[in-house]
Amino acid sequence: MATDALRAQVAAKWQESFSRLNQNEAGIVGLLNFSQAWNIARECMRPRGLDEPDPQTQYDKATFQASFELLNKCRRLPILLETFLDDMRNHFPVIKQEVDQYTLEYQNTLDTTHILNLVFRLLQWYNKWIPRQELGTTLQSAFVLSFQTHMFSILSPAFVRGFQALCASTLPPTDPDAIAPEPNVKMWEAFETLGLLDRYENIIASVGYEHIEAHVIATCSGQWSESMLPELRKWMTDKVVPWMLLMYGRNATTADDAKAMLQNVGSRFDFHMAKTLCDLRTKEIFDIIIDFPDSSGALQDLKECLLRVDQRAALVHTLRKANHKRLLHPGADTRLILSQYVATIKCLRIVDPPGVLLFKVADPIRRYLRERPDTIRCIVSNLVGDDDGGDSLVDESEPIQPLQQSELEDYTDPNWEPEPVDAGPDFRANKPSDVISTLVSIYDSKDLFVKELQVLLAQRLLAITDDNAEKVEKERRNIEILKIRFGEAALQVCEVMLKDMTDSKRIDGHVQSQKTSIIHPTIISKHFWPMLEATEIVMPGQFRALQEEYAKEFSTFKPDKKLRWLPHLGTVHLELHLEDRTIETDVPPLEAAFIELFSEQDVWSMDDLIAKVGSSVDKAAALKALLTWVDMGILKEEGENTFKLLEVAETSTPREARTVSNAAMELPSAPSVQQQQAEQMRVYWKFIEGMLKNLGSLSIDRIQAMLKLAPGYDQTVEQLGIFMEAARQEDLVDVYDGLWKLTPK
Amino acid sequence: MEQVTSSLAPPRAPASNKSGHTASSQSGAGSVAKRLGNELMTLMMSSSPGISAFPKSDSNLFDWVGTIEGASGTVYAGLTFRISIHFPPNYPYIAPTIKFETPCFHPNVDIGTGTICLDILQDKWSAVYSVQTILISLQSLLGEPNNASPLNSDAAAIWNNQEAFKTQLLRNYRSLKDESA
Repeated sequence: MATDALRAQVAAKWQESFSRLNQNEAGIVGLLNFSQAWNIARECMRPRGLDEPDPQTQYDKATFQASFELLNKCRRLPILLETFLDDMRNHFPVIKQEVDQYTLEYQNTLDTTHILNLVFRLLQWYNKWIPRQELGTTLQSAFVLSFQTHMFSILSPAFVRGFQALCASTLPPTDPDAIAPEPNVKMWEAFETLGLLDRYENIIASVGYEHIEAHVIATCSGQWSESMLPELRKWMTDKVVPWMLLMYGRNATTADDAKAMLQNVGSRFDFHMAKTLCDLRTKEIFDIIIDFPDSSGALQDLKECLLRVDQRAALVHTLRKANHKRLLHPGADTRLILSQYVATIKCLRIVDPPGVLLFKVADPIRRYLRERPDTIRCIVSNLVGDDDGGDSLVDESEPIQPLQQSELEDYTDPNWEPEPVDAGPDFRANKPSDVISTLVSIYDSKDLFVKELQVLLAQRLLAITDDNAEKVEKERRNIEILKIRFGEAALQVCEVMLKDMTDSKRIDGHVQSQKTSIIHPTIISKHFWPMLEATEIVMPGQFRALQEEYAKEFSTFKPDKKLRWLPHLGTVHLELHLEDRTIETDVPPLEAAFIELFSEQDVWSMDDLIAKVGSSVDKAAALKALLTWVDMGILKEEGENTFKLLEVAETSTPREARTVSNAAMELPSAPSVQQQQAEQMRVYWKFIEGMLKNLGSLSIDRIQAMLKLAPGYDQTVEQLGIFMEAARQEDLVDVYDGLWKLTPK
Repeated sequence: MEQVTSSLAPPRAPASNKSGHTASSQSGAGSVAKRLGNELMTLMMSSSPGISAFPKSDSNLFDWVGTIEGASGTVYAGLTFRISIHFPPNYPYIAPTIKFETPCFHPNVDIGTGTICLDILQDKWSAVYSVQTILISLQSLLGEPNNASPLNSDAAAIWNNQEAFKTQLLRNYRSLKDESA
């Protein structure tokens, strides 16, 4: 039963299909017609070899159309399409063979013409096989899809490389003199037709990017004086945009159209250019800063690029790394680090006015500088214009202004702006302050600077010989300028020092008027001058007599004051009368003292000499003094540490009498801040003594807390512990149960 | 208002708490502290023998403890006296309040309260005086009492008899070591 029903159903279906194919014609005429139409259609769509004639030449249009209509009526078109695509797939190996051949040739020669030929060849195949227009878009698009699928499946990576090279060859050359290749419109059309443009858009874009990169690096590397961006933009418009038009703007009819089409891709290219330039400048930033201000063009570029490309973090990172590697190491001179730091400040102000970048970059530099022992001295000597070569850190043009303290934010300021988004939590939105304020703010207090300034001023004032009023005036002018910066009160001590200089002259004038003396001392007030290294040279012979005479006159003039001589800080103008010659020279007092002793006897041992001048002189200094005379041919070393006066010049040692002036011109030494720290500790000891005496026994923490009362106390409790332990060693204090007390006397 | 002045300012003595004074002492608290800081520095750095003083704590500069040793050659030689020094908020325009903590048998010192009768601490006070000058004055007062205006009339009476005076003095005296022990 079931079989019967099945049979009946199959018969019905068959009947239906037959009648559809047979077109309700008598017999099988319809079927024959269909068969013929099928053959014609298939034949005319069949993928052919390139040398076969086109189907149009065999069949006229009418027959062709009739066949298709017939097939359409019988709803056999989808089958036809499938058959066609099948045929195409079967024929593709032919194409693959050709493609492989071209690719191989390219691989062997690396000549992009082969690729170009390959593309044209593919296009030929494509044109040969594409179904006729009148067959409808369905058929065509099915063909295109299938053709491209097959084509891409047979294109090897080698082709992709070749294609990239081909695209690159169409770019305008970097060399402006070379003639740009004639735009090959046909090629681009072929690309488009074959779908290569869509498929390989990334590759084409990367070709463009690479071109831009190469151009930027070639033209901008090391070119910092001018801003390069405008020129680069012009280059983009002149050279790259026409090239892009070939690809992205083919269908544009008007300029506006093209513009709209290019807008998206164009901004991508522009971004890439900015990024490349930014990367380049970031890489060069350290040298750019060194070159500042000759590199301001590059900085302007960088600023603009950073607005477009977010590379700020990279910039900070690179610069910090460069600083670490090239600047902040023991080999770099402090002066150099300072000037680079100042240049960094100026440069990054240009790039990023709010100062976030600067803050991030400056932090390690400042920390490093704080650890350097001579930073303050460097800054201060620069402040007073004591630059022995090297540029001044401060711009002459910069107005002198008081030091600025970092202030709390003033929210009532109508121009107030919030902190930039990438500012760190401890970022201080300091207003652009002047360079000196920034440098001084490396340290927590400006007292250190003031102290160092005093030391330096002392050195410079003492180095002035022969009442050279001009130099004193110069120092005074310096101090006046610095007063504006540091405040009147802070520099009061300096004022006293300067006053001492003029007073000395006045007092000396008076003393001289009472009794002429050849000594012209500089009288300084002990309390206001930095600790001067005290050596107790006892001047022998006539020098002591002169000193004593002068001191006597002085105390009659100023009965409440007493002169304490610091002979080692002076210079002596000497005239030596020897048997055969007279020598005139300026020497430090120690040299003078020694040669004076030689007038008593001709041969001295060094130890005896030292004993004569008060045995506080160390051997090195004594030897140096003696060698000064040996150099001048006045003394001669005879045996170990024994010197003999040469009354008659020795001809065998015709040594040039060197000018000793440099020895005399050496700056008198005043202990630096560091040496003063030991002195400071003595002050703290007084405080500790005071508190222990009055408050009984105290714990170390309590002592530490109480020492805050001592001005400038900055030791840690550990350092204090070490200090106290040292005091215990000397039996000054004792400790029980963690409580310190004075040892009863 | 008063509490916010400054942690350095002590509760003000009622006598100086006049209206209209508040504002000036408020702004002055810092400068008083500064002056006291400077005086401390001077005192520490000068090495006047036998006198010394130091703030009780680092948070309050207005209360100090001082030590005076009797000068050699006087009946007080070898004795050490502890004193307390309290500075008013408007120091140095007003003299500090000073008392002997160690009982001191002396014509011008109240043996019970430690109050001192010294002209420069009362009507002769001047802003140019400092802790150091006060301490030096006190030290010399020990050896040279002003018997004309005694606080301790017993002491004034036997001053001329140094032997008896010394006995009385030592009877009242308490050594610092006993104190701390």
